[in-house]
Amino acid sequence: MASEIFSQLVDAHYAPLYRFALSLTKSASDAGDLTQQTFFIWAKQGHSLRDAGKAKSWLFTTLYREFLRARRRAGRVTALEDLSPVEADPPAPAVDVVAGMDASLVLEALLEVDEIYRAPLTLFYLQEFSYREIAELLEVPIGTVMSRLSRGKAQLRASLARKETGGRGKVVPFNQTSARKLS
Amino acid sequence: MNNEEAKFILHGYRPNGRDTTDATFCAALDQARLDADLGQWFAGARAFDAAISAKLSAAPPPAGLREAILAGGRLTEPSSTASSWWHSRGLLAAAAGVAVLLALSVGFWPKTAAAREALQDFAVADAKHSGTHGGEGADTDALQAMLSNPQVRLGRDLPVNFAALRKAGCRTVTFREREVLEVCFNRDGVWFHCYIAQRADFAALAASAAPVLSERGGASLAAWGDAAHYFVVVSKAGRAPLEKIL
Repeated sequence: MASEIFSQLVDAHYAPLYRFALSLTKSASDAGDLTQQTFFIWAKQGHSLRDAGKAKSWLFTTLYREFLRARRRAGRVTALEDLSPVEADPPAPAVDVVAGMDASLVLEALLEVDEIYRAPLTLFYLQEFSYREIAELLEVPIGTVMSRLSRGKAQLRASLARKETGGRGKVVPFNQTSARKLS
Repeated sequence: MNNEEAKFILHGYRPNGRDTTDATFCAALDQARLDADLGQWFAGARAFDAAISAKLSAAPPPAGLREAILAGGRLTEPSSTASSWWHSRGLLAAAAGVAVLLALSVGFWPKTAAAREALQDFAVADAKHSGTHGGEGADTDALQAMLSNPQVRLGRDLPVNFAALRKAGCRTVTFREREVLEVCFNRDGVWFHCYIAQRADFAALAASAAPVLSERGGASLAAWGDAAHYFVVVSKAGRAPLEKIL
């Protein structure tokens, strides 16, 4: 029975968890590792969660914490003050152009967004969590989530516009191996 | 609330409409209905967000990831701290009975074999899912180069400094809450995955000094150990390439 519950949990959440992990790590193999690690922790501890309805939040929160833990170990920290200002509402490709774009190209554009905005932005686009839940998950105030969504979307629009015009800037392939792998 | 403030709030409104009843958005949504410019902006923003969400949902997880997660889950023992089963007299009595039986049979219990097989299952599951890795520091590069050298026969002691490799950024995977290093290498166009566990971390692991070949989960593997480490090399290309490098 426990095995059946675990299988159901994996089937329900592993794909969005992987996509969130991919947006954080920018690497398919790191994202796979991070997703596996999250379910490993669930298998060890998750059964103690009294409210099964909170499993989704627990998994995403755990994945994010594991990512931060691994990054701290790797010594990679993005300082807020390093971030450059973003144009308020830059021009973006028309919606039908975005809809016609290859999914991998749209994902590349998303991965070009600064990490500080990318995490809430990805959670927003996965549509699994409200802005309040994203704030709880990332442990930041609600106003900060709103601000990061606004700025993140502006960066994403700019990135998509660059790709539409063929000016592929810092494209990150999904299979890129990061300088340091996650445990 | 001016239009800029309304836009700021509406950036948090999910395109699937799940936030319709959230009071935070009410005033901004009302304003978008009344103000044509804001309404046009909001319609465009929602369509844009919906298009991005659809693209993100179309990104497929790698093949084999689900199976690797399930395999890992099957091998993972839950923590025993969560439940207070000892508060039940019936369960306590049953546990006492089981303890007696275990005490009688402990001498025959194949702990080491179980631990070894669990690690090998884990290595195969990981190798089947993960890509190839490398280029993570000089120590890792040196080990990878040695493993890739066609003149070197594996199946004996390897020059492994576990701490240095870990610090250099060599890929690690977590097995039973302990880190296991993984280095990929290539021989004659065939990729192999080498997993290195510290004996100090896995007291129950026993390994032959000579490599033992086996088939598991559709992969071939060779396992052996030295004084400090336990090695598992996984090949997805069959037994013959593996035998060739030993």
